Amino acid sequence: MNAMGFAWRSLVRQPARASLGVLGVAAVGALLFDMLLLSEGLVISMRGLLERTGFDLRVTATDSLPGQGPLIPNAVAEAQAIATLPTVRSAIALRFANATILNDRPRGFYTSFQGVAGTAQHPWTILRGRDIGTGAELVINENTATRLQLAPGARLVLRAACTGEEQALPPMPFTVAGVAQFPFDTPNGATLATSLDRLADACGGNESGEADVIMVASQESAGTAAAVADVAKLLPHLRVLSNAEAVNRFERGGFTYFRQISTVLTTVTLSFAVLLITVLLTVSINQRLGEIAALRALGFSRWRVVADVLCESVLIVGGGGLLSLPLGGLLALGLDTILKRIPGIPAEVHFFVFRPEALQVHLLLLAAAAVIAALYPIRIVARLPIAATLREEVGG
Amino acid sequence: MIPRRIAAALASFVAAAATLHAADTLPHVLISRQLSESEHIAVGDVVRLSASADDGAAQQFRVAGVYEPTPDPARLGAVIREVQLHLPDLLTLTREPGMPAGSEFVETINVALVDPADAAAFSRDVQARMPGVSAQPSTGAAESTGPFLVLRRFHLAIAIVTIVASTVFLLALTIMLVDERRAAVGVLRLIGLPIRRVLVQLFIEGVLIACIGSMFGVALSLVSEGLINRFFQWRYDTALVFVRVTPEVAAICVAIAVPLGVSATVVASWALLRRNGLRLARR
Repeated sequence: MNAMGFAWRSLVRQPARASLGVLGVAAVGALLFDMLLLSEGLVISMRGLLERTGFDLRVTATDSLPGQGPLIPNAVAEAQAIATLPTVRSAIALRFANATILNDRPRGFYTSFQGVAGTAQHPWTILRGRDIGTGAELVINENTATRLQLAPGARLVLRAACTGEEQALPPMPFTVAGVAQFPFDTPNGATLATSLDRLADACGGNESGEADVIMVASQESAGTAAAVADVAKLLPHLRVLSNAEAVNRFERGGFTYFRQISTVLTTVTLSFAVLLITVLLTVSINQRLGEIAALRALGFSRWRVVADVLCESVLIVGGGGLLSLPLGGLLALGLDTILKRIPGIPAEVHFFVFRPEALQVHLLLLAAAAVIAALYPIRIVARLPIAATLREEVGG
Repeated sequence: MIPRRIAAALASFVAAAATLHAADTLPHVLISRQLSESEHIAVGDVVRLSASADDGAAQQFRVAGVYEPTPDPARLGAVIREVQLHLPDLLTLTREPGMPAGSEFVETINVALVDPADAAAFSRDVQARMPGVSAQPSTGAAESTGPFLVLRRFHLAIAIVTIVASTVFLLALTIMLVDERRAAVGVLRLIGLPIRRVLVQLFIEGVLIACIGSMFGVALSLVSEGLINRFFQWRYDTALVFVRVTPEVAAICVAIAVPLGVSATVVASWALLRRNGLRLARR
């Protein structure tokens, strides 16, 4: 019988402790797997979201995030100029504001409000109805439609709030053209969108043509880097950021907390697993010293008994590791649901994202844990004095 | 009189420091430690501040001090380059041309109550008397909503998973440890000790081990508290406290760990003690 078969029989002989060992490794492994998914999840998710919008460059007035810095003057003209560059496929100007839909509630219904100008496809997906036209029309997201029971064709009156200052802008009537899905919507967020001109009207008409960001899609043949260089050359007073640079900035931002916590918990979890498997194996080996000495006396080599212990460790960690994958998946779903309640997180962003590299690292770490945990018990069996142990066990 | 200060994250920091021997009549500002370090500005330096990037209407200020910004989890990872001005100075600096003095507004008014316990009643009173003004007690506002509550739930979920894993391992270990003593337990049974007497002995042993283990765990967490805080404070250049082992947290940990440890011992022992004494003592 080979070492693996022998180790299997040793475990099966004591099913309760073997099962508990495997279950313990499964629980720890699930947490370890989740921490590996968490370490890069948010960044991968954000990168995917940025790429799905169809634009790979963002042009802003300053280094501030769109909507948090000053407006770009003459943004519509700038967007048109950018769109004529040979490395650019299309460009749109976007402006962000807030609005209160006036209804029967005393304070109205608070929403975020955006305006768009340019020839490219709008950064939303129409679910029902149609896209905005040239009139006083807007598209609303599903949350707004559900909560206010609005459908395409409905009319509403809103009051925009376009700066941080207190304003008393006049209410403006709009018609709902359609219901749309916005890529950066939060799970409970209410969003409206119209043309940049209509938004400027709602904002008092003083800042016509200004926008927070110009989103640019590069020509596939030219590539993003060439488009970034061309736009930066054309508009040296503005900041041009590719998706990769935006993700880098995001990585350096506040959400590195999750990467740090993931590193700390990965280290703690792995140490915990190694310690406990070592203790389990050591106690188990100590209880079988007489048996192991007898096997050595019967002709089992030192390496053979060492291999038995190692295989036992591999079987416990391997079994637990296999179980940890579905358990970790379920746990990740639960933890993701908890974390996505952080205000301002887009509904399509996830904290735990599967990637093959995470699975590889998980398997490598578990393999290392199996080997390291077996080192001390291996040392015990390798140095076991056969005659003295047998004498002690028999004479006991 | 201590003048009211207001944080001003100005759009432009027009001129870096130059220790000018300007008249002492210059208004004073405080700058954040991060701004002081990044721009090499020291106490006594004169800086020029403007509300716009084009250097329009820039004014001179003397740096009266460098301060450590109040730790803010919402700004974790951000380099806080901040200047604090006296409110009248800030209003003068940011006032639009033609706007009469006194017609400006402020975003927030911080109120210190004689009795902080009156915060909720005071907030209700203000909101009733001044429609359109939102008055919120500062304590609890951060903890009851937003990212803090979510992170708390996240950490709680991870703690539950860790407890489950620990319990499973603990059960496996106690089964082994109790099994190791099966011969001794068998002899005790054979010389006439009832099951209950042996179980009580194992129970007391379990309590002692669980208490010592819990105390060791709390001591370990107190040591790691300092290490974790120092690491994250260095990593994010903040005075924010990330881990705090309070007496309540320690009590909860002990309240969970001791019963779990004792239960594991009793469950494992009970499984062993149900066997016949002769069978237990058999080698």
